[in-house]
Order: sequence, then structure tokens, then C-alpha cells
Amino acid sequence: MLNIIIVILMLLGLFFFFGTSVGLIHFPDFYSRMHAAGKGDTLSTALILTGLALYHLQDFSLATLLVSLKIMSIVLYIFIASPTATHAIMDAGFESGVKHWSKADQPDKNKGEVK
Amino acid sequence: MKPLALLFTLSVGVLLLAASLDLPDWSDPASPASSHVSPYYIQESLNQTSVPNLVSSVLADYRSYDTMFETVVIFCAGITVLTILRRTFRSKDKYILPRPEREDADIILQSAVRLLVPVMQVFALYVIAHGHHSPGGGFQGGVILGASFILLSIAYDLKTVLKRFKENSILFLSAVGVLIYAGIGIICLFLGRNFLAYGAWAKLLGITEQEAHSHGMLGVEIGVAITVMVIMFSLYADLSSSGDLDEGL
Repeated sequence: MLNIIIVILMLLGLFFFFGTSVGLIHFPDFYSRMHAAGKGDTLSTALILTGLALYHLQDFSLATLLVSLKIMSIVLYIFIASPTATHAIMDAGFESGVKHWSKADQPDKNKGEVK
Repeated sequence: MKPLALLFTLSVGVLLLAASLDLPDWSDPASPASSHVSPYYIQESLNQTSVPNLVSSVLADYRSYDTMFETVVIFCAGITVLTILRRTFRSKDKYILPRPEREDADIILQSAVRLLVPVMQVFALYVIAHGHHSPGGGFQGGVILGASFILLSIAYDLKTVLKRFKENSILFLSAVGVLIYAGIGIICLFLGRNFLAYGAWAKLLGITEQEAHSHGMLGVEIGVAITVMVIMFSLYADLSSSGDLDEGL
């Protein structure tokens, strides 16, 4: 039973990691890329590490409980640090005037000319 | 010229690959590297130093002399950057990185840093103190401590941190770290042993020689950590304010 939960957590984590990578490559501008990296990375790391912590708890003792608690504290600090770092990078980009993507700036495909 | 360079690179690569065939297999127990010197340390270091972490015992005990001068190298690097960059007068044509123009500071960043920095510093002390039982040691713990101060000065201001951690005490502590290391070695000399032979401390502390080795390692790691911490922060402070220590990042 516990194994099924662990596998589901890990697979969800891998799925969101995949989404993060696709978003990082495929989104058009700086801000949306950072959005993909900041959200997906945090969630998928948390999911995978929670799965690992549960996996360690299978044969329950004080030692495995300590390891699981350490893993969960890693999750906690990544949960604080990673979005903050994304915010700081994004804020620095905004302050130094990085332009965001908009449809109006794109070359018109029907006419085939670049504005 | 380019095809010639390509040919040269390829031929060197082929030669290196061919030479690598003669190397022993990965983690081969019969290879020369693990059949002469390593077994001695693997078998004896726990009995001789009562330290379960082999890497720490080799780094801080068997090769202690080497590590002492690594600390001196870090000390010299910090002093060199200080001598070249530090100015006591304010320069006129200084380039200052543009700071965001707004009144209120970044609350998100500051709250997160306020949460993280105490945990980082306690963890760094754990890494230093537990360095000879688990992965860690003076260099790693010192870097984490230095990074916590750098994080503070990124989120707040260089001035805010320098108010709490004065430049004089930075300079003082960077020398104190090296002195702790060398002093532990020199006291061994006065007790009638070789330089940095921690076994000599056994008489002074009233413990066995093996425990004296363990405690000596802890002592030198504290010295390394102090030097690394203050030099990390002083490098950041000098580079980010181009030597004026007034503003900058």
C-alpha cells in the first residue's frame, strides 16, 4: 500500500520535472521561463523527496525516522529558498528592463514581414 | 589553420584514449593506487586517530601540514584582495551598479533570508563540529557560514551587515583562524613531539592519544572555519563595493 503511494509521488514528481524542462525550453520569454522553473522545480523536488522520506519509513525505527525528518527539512528549505530565488531573479530582470513577450511584437505570419 | 588544429586535437584525443586502455579498472582492488598506501589508512586510521571519517583523518591529521598551508593560501588570497582593492578615500569615478529605485526594500527576499540565515549558521556549526564523524569539516562549514553573511548583505545592505560584523574584526579573525591552527601544532612542539603531532595533547588534556588526535582535528577545523568564513565575506564585500565598503550590491 505504502509502495503505491511512493510510486505515485515519484511519478508525479518526474511528470512535473518533465513539464519544467519543456517549459524552460519552450516558453517564449524570460518571465514565463522563470515561472516554469520556479513552480515546477519546487513542486517536483518536494514530491520526489516526500516519496523518498516515506520509502525510508517502511521499516520504522528511530534511525529511519531521523533520516526521514532530515529529508523533510530539505523539502521545507527548498520550499522557502527556491521560489524566493526565482522571485529575486525575476525582480532583477524587471528592474533592468527585460521586455516581456507579447503577441503584438511578433512578426505577422499572414503578411510575412517583421515589424 | 583550423583543419590543422582539428587534426592535432583528434590525434591527441586518440592517443589519450589509447593510453587509457592501460589504466586499471574502475575501483580495481589490485590497482597500484589501492594496493600499497590506501590499505594502511583504511585499516589503521580508526585505531590511530579514533575518527571514523577517513577523509577527515587524512586531511587534518596525516596531511595536516598540507592543510595548514591551504588555510594560509586562503588567508593570503583575502589579504591580497584587500590590499589591491581597499580604499580609505572615496573614489570619484567609481562605477556603481544601478540599484532599483524604490523606497521600500524587497520584503519577500528579506523575510526568506531572515528565516534561512539562522538555520544556515547552526547547520554550518554542525558541519564543523561533526566534520570528523560525517562528511564535512572546516572548509565546508566555513563556506556555509560565509555564505550566510553574503546572503544577508544581498538581501539587506552591505552597511547593515558591516555594522554588526566590523572590518576590523574581519581582519582580526582571519589571522586568528590561522593562528589557532599553527598554535595547536606549536604546542605539540613544546610538549616534545613533532609539529602538529596531536598525540602530544594527551598529557595536557588527560585523555588517550587517540582521543587527542580526534580533538586536535576538531581544533584545527575550527581554525580553518574561522579563516574561511571571514575571507569569504571580506572578498564579497570588497569586490561588490569596489573597495569602498560603503555601498554596492
